[in-house]
Amino acid sequence: MRSPVRLERRLTQPRWLNSAIPVFSLMGALVVGAVVLLATGKNPLDVYWRILDRGFLSQRAVTGTLRTATPLAFTGMCAAAAFRLGVINIGGEGQLYIGAVGAALVGLWIGGSAPVGITIIVMVLAGMLFGAMYASIVGVLRSQFNTNEIITSLMMNYVAGIVLNYLIFNSRSYWRDPRSVGFPSGKPLEKRTFWPTYEVFSTSVSFGFLLAIAAAIVLWVVYKRSRLGFEIGIIADSPRAARYVGIRTKWTIVAVTAMSGALAGLGGTSQVGDFAHYLDAKGLQLNNFGYTGIVVAALARLNPLGAILVAVLMGGLTNAGYSLQGPDFPSGLVGTLQGLILFTAVAGEILTKYRLRSNRNAVKAVAV
Amino acid sequence: MNSNLLVVIAASAIFYGTPLFFAALGGVFTERSGVLNLGVEGMMLIGGVTAAWSSLHVGGSAWFTVLVALCIAMLAGSILASLHAFLCVTLRANQTVAGLSITIFAGAVGLSSYFANIWKAAQDPVTRQVRKLDVLGLADAPILGPLLFNHTILTYLSWVMCAVASWYLFRTKIGLQVRAVGESPQTADAMGISVVKYRYIHTMLGGALAGLGGAFYSLAIVPTWVDGMTKGAGWIAIALVIFGFWRPGLTLLGAYLFGALQSLGTVLKARSFDIPGDVLDALPFVMTIVVLVLVSTRFAHKRIGAPAALGVPYEREER
Amino acid sequence: MTNSAVRMTGVVKRFPGVIANDGVNFEVLKGEVHALLGENGAGKSTLSNILTGLYRPDEGSIDLDGTPVSFSSPKAALDAGIGMVHQHFRLVEPFTVAENVILGNPQTAFVIDTDSTVERVADLARRYDMAVDPNAKIWQLSVGEQQRVEILKVLYRGAGVLILDEPTAVLTPIEAEALFKTLRAMTAEGRTVIFISHKLDEVMSVSDRITVLRGGRTVGTVATRDTSTRELAGMMVGRSVEFSRATRRNPGDPGDVVLSLTDVSCEDDRGREALHGIDVTIGRGEIVGVAGVAGNGQRELAEVIAGMRTFTSGRILVGDKPLANGRARSAIADGVAHVPEDRLHTGLAAGHSVEDNIALKNYRTPLLSRFGMLKRNVITSQACDLVTRYDVKTPDTATPVRLLSGGNVQKVLLAREFSTKPKVLIAASPTRGLDVGAIETVRQRLVEAADDGVGILLICEDLEEIMSLADRIVVMYEGRLVADMPAVGATREQLGLLMGGATPETSQ
Repeated sequence: MRSPVRLERRLTQPRWLNSAIPVFSLMGALVVGAVVLLATGKNPLDVYWRILDRGFLSQRAVTGTLRTATPLAFTGMCAAAAFRLGVINIGGEGQLYIGAVGAALVGLWIGGSAPVGITIIVMVLAGMLFGAMYASIVGVLRSQFNTNEIITSLMMNYVAGIVLNYLIFNSRSYWRDPRSVGFPSGKPLEKRTFWPTYEVFSTSVSFGFLLAIAAAIVLWVVYKRSRLGFEIGIIADSPRAARYVGIRTKWTIVAVTAMSGALAGLGGTSQVGDFAHYLDAKGLQLNNFGYTGIVVAALARLNPLGAILVAVLMGGLTNAGYSLQGPDFPSGLVGTLQGLILFTAVAGEILTKYRLRSNRNAVKAVAV
Repeated sequence: MNSNLLVVIAASAIFYGTPLFFAALGGVFTERSGVLNLGVEGMMLIGGVTAAWSSLHVGGSAWFTVLVALCIAMLAGSILASLHAFLCVTLRANQTVAGLSITIFAGAVGLSSYFANIWKAAQDPVTRQVRKLDVLGLADAPILGPLLFNHTILTYLSWVMCAVASWYLFRTKIGLQVRAVGESPQTADAMGISVVKYRYIHTMLGGALAGLGGAFYSLAIVPTWVDGMTKGAGWIAIALVIFGFWRPGLTLLGAYLFGALQSLGTVLKARSFDIPGDVLDALPFVMTIVVLVLVSTRFAHKRIGAPAALGVPYEREER
Repeated sequence: MTNSAVRMTGVVKRFPGVIANDGVNFEVLKGEVHALLGENGAGKSTLSNILTGLYRPDEGSIDLDGTPVSFSSPKAALDAGIGMVHQHFRLVEPFTVAENVILGNPQTAFVIDTDSTVERVADLARRYDMAVDPNAKIWQLSVGEQQRVEILKVLYRGAGVLILDEPTAVLTPIEAEALFKTLRAMTAEGRTVIFISHKLDEVMSVSDRITVLRGGRTVGTVATRDTSTRELAGMMVGRSVEFSRATRRNPGDPGDVVLSLTDVSCEDDRGREALHGIDVTIGRGEIVGVAGVAGNGQRELAEVIAGMRTFTSGRILVGDKPLANGRARSAIADGVAHVPEDRLHTGLAAGHSVEDNIALKNYRTPLLSRFGMLKRNVITSQACDLVTRYDVKTPDTATPVRLLSGGNVQKVLLAREFSTKPKVLIAASPTRGLDVGAIETVRQRLVEAADDGVGILLICEDLEEIMSLADRIVVMYEGRLVADMPAVGATREQLGLLMGGATPETSQ
């Protein structure tokens, strides 16, 4: 039962792996995806070409792609921030909803009277705060009772979805537009509070996307240079060493989970401020931004700057999926591809820890 | 509340709890062997869509079609689970993220939806359903009728499986070895038990049961295919494994408790009780969190005996 | 000779970066106790793991009873009659003794018959004079009893060759004697025992023949009656070594107390009381050795003083300042340095660089950070300085510590701990697993620190080390200090009895 290759522990992690693994993962996912497509009677090259075309190859496509990439960048950073500490917060989905609720609340409340700049700032803060508070429930449960954060954060996604539905569809809440009779919808914000967009190379870039880039830079500096980043690194590497030097692990878990939730909350805020301009209960739940964020984080290998890049990639994929959806482009195809990308990214991580060695000749490496 | 209402709730708790139990029992097997499977939701959905397709397209007698549909659902679940095992056991990947990748890959907006779309599985109610039986003609008997004699064949199967699973895990040699693999793979390996084989088999068994649970949704509960129809049942099943202390019997009780929560809304609304629907909808999820907090306190944790090597990849040549 | 039980010829095993076995030749005769002697890292464990099928040799051959064999798995080796008792027990804690014994045994029936199993395990235990209850759960047993379960497991499967890896490391001297008796009973029945050890005395007393390994190669095989401890020691380390008491430049001052514990109790991770009213003091420049068999509260003692564990009663003073309970940061600030037993994963963050690890205890000081941001260049220069001063062999300060050798890992740790200018140092098994050169360096550093006035609590299972370094020796048994005596005049026998739970009166 001797297999031709075996895994051997790597002693060092070459730098090139950092970029090679995502690339290999993507290619691997496309190959496996092609097999699925072929098996179901589709032409993979044709499908991939159309995705490329509709996702990236025109100004209109890029505008749409960046629009989809914005929430994904935030949820990707949300997942990455928590995963770095070993806290598997998969509640980005729900935290995004709750962030949107907070931002819409503030936008509706002071949007008519306060100066535009102030309104936007307060919306951003409120979205972060709501997201952070919602996520910190997960963090507190994990650090105080050692409750499995994966399941609690996931359950809270469903709860958040129910909250959204309640606010818009099943109650006469502050967020609901009283004029919407037949089909209930959110109360629209004042036009003046809409977030600005900027023309860059004749592509429109939203304020939220710039905010995401700024957040990524801040995060990157936190990880590289700050005391908090140092402590996060130690806790993730060796919880016992963290205890040994007296790092407040429990506090850090809560803080990081809250930070992670704030990022997702920002994603929700940007949905309200940039695009929908009301609490869009249906639209927010339609796209699985939170779950796709996990794919983004994994493929970016938890690097916040990488998350922006990957978010654009995934945004393009998702965006192409919307515009192509129809009889010969089945729904679920984009999700399948994204799942495959995560799958191959997980499998690819193994190359950081091991390398493949031939069993016949122990000295010669056969691959990567 | 009158006793009649209680009986209705209990009966529908058993009905709604059955797929939860299948998925959770699969989780018990998988986790007892030391593998954490967060792909249950995806496996249930794949089971659901393949069962719906089979029900629509496989010919033959109703019984035959349903049987084939269930087998195909189990097969589909276990194929997906074998991917999970490949990541976790062979590649020793992070089991949490591996499971997530399975759920995203196969989940509500992934492969299950894709299949449903290209197979047109969602168009009609499935014709060949898993229907409630009238056992010994006692279905209409007072109280005991709805509780014991008016269930689907799968519910009766689940009772048998609960007993068999307990016996298997705690009374047989193989069960002892499964538990050893989950508790201390080093020991099992040293005693000549193949950690890899046991983990693959029980992960795939878990996937098959998750697929069966998913089939129950598309063939009995709904009964047609709707994208994302399990609505988080796979995740509740994972929590149920913990809630059931990794024991089949307790897991069955837990499944019925959550089944009751899920059915409460439907039952109460049908009887025009004035309880906000959203509160009832949220109840299973909130309850899951509460239950998890309770069992993860230090007091409980010492007593419930989670498999010690759960979620830890096993690597032999470590030095 | 036809009565060869096991013969290994030219065995080579390479791991990434090391050659663990480099052409080892090794032959064991039927019915003998054959000791495999060597220092840590000499390749003993690798060799036995090859023999039991856990590792596959890269080169070389194995003959069992004169026929060549090749084991693809531990199961294959077990089926061929080779059983191993590991140093770290391979037992399933929540299972009973009987369940552990039958685990993986092909003869077990599909449906387990608990009663008859228990019966048979009990019979087997009686036959070899091993006291153990087949119905007890493993976690309820003492370490010595757990070892008996390991032996029972192997015997139950009918192994003809038993390999014991450092079996006495976890035993009291009395338990060790009982083990030797059991081994004799087994060889009397024609079974073969391979006894892996690095302890010269016990090898001399238990074995018939001895094979010495050094640096992955066979040095030679000798008959026990034809050799001496001194000759074996020479073979083992490649030169003659003498252990003697370390010479001190400045003797310690027990009157100037730098650390005192008064009636300190605490719980272990399972919530059971691990320390019962500990009273001990350390003077300026004094080295106090804590002797005891592992698992008698030593780890908890170290952690309580280092602020990693809360004490449930009592008082700890560093100098004359009370120690904040369970606050590692204030313990560090108050001058408590700590070299933990698990260096690589507690004392250091193994995946982090040498410089990050050196900064681990002072990264919050104004020297290394400002406004919550780290001064990376100062962190690097601090590390460069210490790496040079402590002669750490590393390519650069950005190298992860897990890539360093054991000796250099310990140097990084010591460099950091001493750079915090401590009043007190808790050193737990500071030389375990190091090679001879590194052991000497570490011991020298400890003595120098004591000469400079640091009070040192040396927690160690190695009596040799305690007796050569400590000024005063305390003995720990079941969470209590059962003796406190000057090192000069203490004898191995006396300490051994105390470690095994004999009261001071009976040990006189």
